[in-house]
Parts: sequence; C-alpha cells; structure tokens
Amino acid sequence: MSHQLGRVVSEILHRYFGELVQQVGNDLFIYGSKPISMIVKTTGLPRKQVIESLRTLLKFDLASFEPSVHEVVADYKLLPDNVLLLIRYPRYLLQIKSKYGTEAELLVEELLQQATSTATGLLVTVATKNKDDKEKNITILKLRDTFVSLATAGYIQQAPVADTKEGSSDVPSLVPVATIVPDLDTRQLLHAMTTGSLADIKDNIYWKVNYDRFHQDFRDDIMVKAMTRRIDDNAGELMRLLLQQMYLSSAAWAAESNPTPALDIREAVRRAADKSLLSQHVDHYLKVLEENGAGFVRRVGDAGGGQLVVCGRRAAGRLLEAVLDHVVTERLGSNAARIFRLIRAKKYIEEDDIQKHAMLPNKECKELTYKLLEEHFISVQPMRKAASAGGMAKAIYLYHIKTHDVAHTAQELCYRALHNCLRRAAHERNKHARLRDKQRRVRTIVHGMRMRGEPQQNIDDVEETLTPPELALLKDVEKRLKQLSAAELELDRNLFILNWYFMYSK
Amino acid sequence: MAGRGRGRGGGLSFTQEQLQALGIARGENTATTLAPPPLFPKLEAKPLPLSCDAATDYMLIVKDQFIEYLHETPAYVKPNMRTDGIERYSDKYKQLALDAKQGKVLDCVWVNMPAELRPQASKLRMTSRKRKLDDATVINKKLQTLENKETLDENAEVEAESKDEDTVKKENDDDEEIEDEEEQEYEIDEGTDYANNYFDNGEDYDEEDDNLDDGPVY
Repeated sequence: MSHQLGRVVSEILHRYFGELVQQVGNDLFIYGSKPISMIVKTTGLPRKQVIESLRTLLKFDLASFEPSVHEVVADYKLLPDNVLLLIRYPRYLLQIKSKYGTEAELLVEELLQQATSTATGLLVTVATKNKDDKEKNITILKLRDTFVSLATAGYIQQAPVADTKEGSSDVPSLVPVATIVPDLDTRQLLHAMTTGSLADIKDNIYWKVNYDRFHQDFRDDIMVKAMTRRIDDNAGELMRLLLQQMYLSSAAWAAESNPTPALDIREAVRRAADKSLLSQHVDHYLKVLEENGAGFVRRVGDAGGGQLVVCGRRAAGRLLEAVLDHVVTERLGSNAARIFRLIRAKKYIEEDDIQKHAMLPNKECKELTYKLLEEHFISVQPMRKAASAGGMAKAIYLYHIKTHDVAHTAQELCYRALHNCLRRAAHERNKHARLRDKQRRVRTIVHGMRMRGEPQQNIDDVEETLTPPELALLKDVEKRLKQLSAAELELDRNLFILNWYFMYSK
Repeated sequence: MAGRGRGRGGGLSFTQEQLQALGIARGENTATTLAPPPLFPKLEAKPLPLSCDAATDYMLIVKDQFIEYLHETPAYVKPNMRTDGIERYSDKYKQLALDAKQGKVLDCVWVNMPAELRPQASKLRMTSRKRKLDDATVINKKLQTLENKETLDENAEVEAESKDEDTVKKENDDDEEIEDEEEQEYEIDEGTDYANNYFDNGEDYDEEDDNLDDGPVY
C-alpha cells in the first residue's frame, strides 16, 4: 500500500470510470475503510453520487464491504490489486481467444463488461448481439457448449452469493460457492432467443471471470517460453507436459509441486506423439532441463525412474532476477548491470573486490556502485571490528542484494511509470479533445452517407472538413496514445512477474 | 545537538581517511546543490522500442473498446452539470442526451449489495407509508382531526392576544397526531409554502429583545 500504488489506482479509476469514482476511490485508499457518510464528508460530493460511485466499485469487484459497528451501515474498502487488474483485461481476452476461439472471447468479453451475469442472460445477450454477423456464424448452441467448457476449465466461476442464513439483513455477507457446471436447457435458450425476453427463465446463479485461472495460464506460458528460449522447442513442450502433470497432483500455485514420476512424463510424451524427436530423447531432455533449466525442475528421488518436481518459487526467483537485470541495464547501463550481477553471484562482497572482479576502472566502478546504492538496487552492511583503535580500516563494508527489497523497488518503479503513462495519455487526450471529437463526428457522418449510398463527391466534401495539418496532428496524437497504451500493457507484464514472486515470499 | 567526539562517529559521517578510502578526495565534495532535482530529468539512454505485433494491436483495440463501453454505461459517474449562466443553443440537445443516460441505474445484483446502496430503499419507504391512507377508517380519522384542528385554529385566532396556554397545548397534541400526514405533504410539494402552518401565537415575540442584549447579530 504505497504512495505510488495510490497514485496509479486513482489514475486508473479516472480513466475507466471518471472523475467522481476516482475521488471516492482515492478517499477510500487513503483512509482504509469507512462508511458512506464519512466519504460524503471528506470528498464533499453529493450523497447520491457517492452511492453511484460505490455501486460501480462494488459491481466490478474493486471494493469490498463489511458491516460496521452500527450493523445497519457498511464500511467500504478499496481493493487496489483488483483495480490494477483492469489493465490486464485485454490480455485475458487475447489468451482466451487464442486458446478457445471467438465464441469464448465474446463470452468472456461480455462477462468482463457485465462483471457478473447469469448464464442464460449472458448467452442470450451475446447471441442477440451477433445474430446478424454471418461471418462469425455464432449460434446459441455453440455458445452454450463453449460456456460449459469454460466453466469446466475454470475460466469462469460462480460469483459469491449473499449468506441466506441471516435473512434480509441490511448488510449481506458474501460467501464464495463451489462452482457447479450448469446444465442449460437448450429449448429454453432457443425460446428466449426468439421471444427476446428472459422473463420465463428462472436463473439466479451468477457467474464471473476467474482471474486466477488466467494467471495460471500466464505463468505456464512464461515458464514454457523461458525453456523454449533457453534450450529449444522440445524442451518447452516437455515443460508444458510437466506442468500438466503438476496440475493433476498439487495446488496450482504451490512453491514446489508434488513429485511426479518420470514414467508418467514419458507416457504423456508418447501420447502427445507428434514430436518424434522429443519422444526419442525424453530422458536426455529431462536431464538437460534439470541441469540447465534454471532450476525450474528438480529431481528429488530415483524411485520409479526418477521423481521430478516443478519449483514455482525458484522459477519466480529466476525470472525476477532477469527482470531486475534488465531494469538495471536500462537505467544505469551495462557496466552497472555487471556490478549488480557480480554482487548477486558473490552474495556479500567488499568494495575492493568489486573493483577487482568487475574489471572496470576504479573511479567508474565506485561511481556506479554508489549509484546502485542510491537507487536502492543494492544494500550495504557495515561490519565493525570491535577492538581496534584508530580511524583506518576499522570497518568493512559488505555490499549485497536484498532480493525482496529490490523487488519492491522495481515494483515502485513500475507503478510510477504506469502512473506517468496514464497521466500523459490523459493529458494528450484532453489537449486534443476538440480535434478528436471532430474526427469522430466526421467519421460517423461519412459512415452514414456511405450507408445511404450518397455520391462520392459529397462524401469527399465532408471528409475535407478535416484539413491536412489537422490530419497530421491527429495521426501524431494517435501514434503517441497507442505507444502509451502499449507501454501500459508491457508494464503490466512486469508487474505480473513481480507479483508472482511476492506470492511466495508472503 | 552537541558535536560528538572524534571517536564516536556513529556512522553518521565519515572521517577524512574513510572518505579517501571511498574515493572522495579533499575538496571534491564541496559542491552541494541546493536546488531541487529537475522535474523531468534527461534520459541517459533511449528506452527500448515497444514490441508492435498483431497481438499488441488486438489488445489495444480491445482495451479501447472496453473503456468506451464503460464510458457509455452508468458505471461512469458524471458530475452534475455546472452551468455558467449563459444559455446556449446546444444546451437543449446536451440536456436530452444527459437525460437519456440519467434515468439508467447500474445493473447490479442488488441482493449482494448493502441496503443503503439499493435503489429501491427510498421508494419502499414511500409506498409503505402511502398505504396507510388507503384504509377508509384512517382517512375518516384524519379528516376528523383536521376538522378539529380547523375549529381550534379559529378559536386560537380569536384568543391569540390573551395567550390561552391550554389551547396551545391541546393544539400541540393534535399536531402530533397528524404529524404523519403533514410529513407526507412536505415530501410531495416542497415547492410552495401554502401547506405550511404559519400560525404564530405570539409567544416568541419577546425573545427577540433578549437576544439584543448580547449584542447585535451579524
């Protein structure tokens, strides 16, 4: 809960939900949890708008509530981590599209927009929206099958429901429920499609997107990609199979999975079959993975042809190191990165030794070391000799890296950069709001004219209302906004790795 | 506060020898800068270009769509219109567009929300109170009390100068009885003051004078 996090969260809320939600969110971030009347007091907003903002926050699961001491009113609390996830939405969609196809993408997109929805409601809305789209050829039956497979795979889950025991209390308490894959009646769905109303169907089970399942996918992708890059495609494939085996026997985010017998892996490889090279050399690849796979996989025993575990914690640690190396390289240059790596390799090292091993000129080496120290990438531990008199050589200064602290530093940097991106983009958008508005209006007019089939000359006339300099400026602005937006996505990738690391160190 | 002896450096500052060991020669650290660091420091290295492939393009488009969708829904809370007092031709259309959005309430699962956030909360109370009036006996009773009050009012007007304490008390009692009724009237038409009872029995007449003793009220 740092200052930088607060700034990012506030900026994101502004981008997605507007100024008022930002104010309410910011207020909640600063004060922890508080009831409505207190929010009204500190923000100075009308009560009605505070209520509307809170509804938005609660709907998208960006805030939580619990009964306060008075029981009838609730205390609200912002969930900053969930606010940060808003930036990751496009990535979820890309993931689901590449894995399950267009139907799944449409379903998840609609569900993300609605935050929570009933299965029938979701299916009927998506089907109605895409009814006229011949190209995609979406039918409600296909959608239903996709929905069931998504629920089975755990990408969507049932939303928590209000506890029924207390009856109709003023502040319900939400209890998570186990997801049961629904059995949807085809005839009812078709009927609802034709009549266009959902009134006939009694469906009060609400669904939402399960972010954690997506994060597991991201994690797997990162690990497989790392192995592919480090060794080759076959090793990546083997890593994927190992992860699949891991899911069968242990918790998804376990620091170390339960041991898997190598025999099972061999069996799985044979079943996958299309990689002939891999199935011929499974044992060799396993050996290479163990010895040269950055510690992602570890052999724990020899029983049953070898027992293997997947070390999530080690993997996160190694990836974090890579991230930090890059951060240092990009900020302070490759020489500083060399010192950084040296200190990490030696664990604790004296300043003279840094100079000796880094093989850099004396002065430059010192300068870079102090710069690293100043930016909190390395730490120094003074060791004093107790019984010596005189000023000289009393203390030894040992440089070392506190990984956890440095990870926090990197996280702060990410937050700050993210905030800057959002802020800058908002500024660009404000500055050129009038022009962008004009462009949009011209586009809609032209589109309307095309639909009506008006002569090309009239269309050209309308289009020419945007002068060439304006067009050039617009193009420039668009490019900059796109760049900033892409930067947000990249920063989010980094944050994902950092969060993965923090998951184990809690 | 007091300067420490040479022997107790305490790690706060370095001795000359230590400074030399750190590579700082005499006179090298004199240039202390008092100005704050620049707000936008110059980049030492140009940042890496961002990857720009089909996947990124797709994500950017999806993201913009999502944000646009949110801005259209009631989830995007807009502040009340602030006018600068100048009437414009476009005001009418803006108002129309705003009204179209204003009516919509965010679509939530209300059971999972605290009662104070549910939109029905205020409406429910209103209707339950109204239901009292549907009962014929209650209406009759109300009418009767009103009639009583009317006669009392007339009495009071006649006896206003003589300040009949009893009447006033009685009237207060009656007031309480019909309080429900009156409350509702307030809610329905707050615009005019005609429904308000402006009867003044003159009791407060003297109080103004007392205040003056304390000094004028600004």
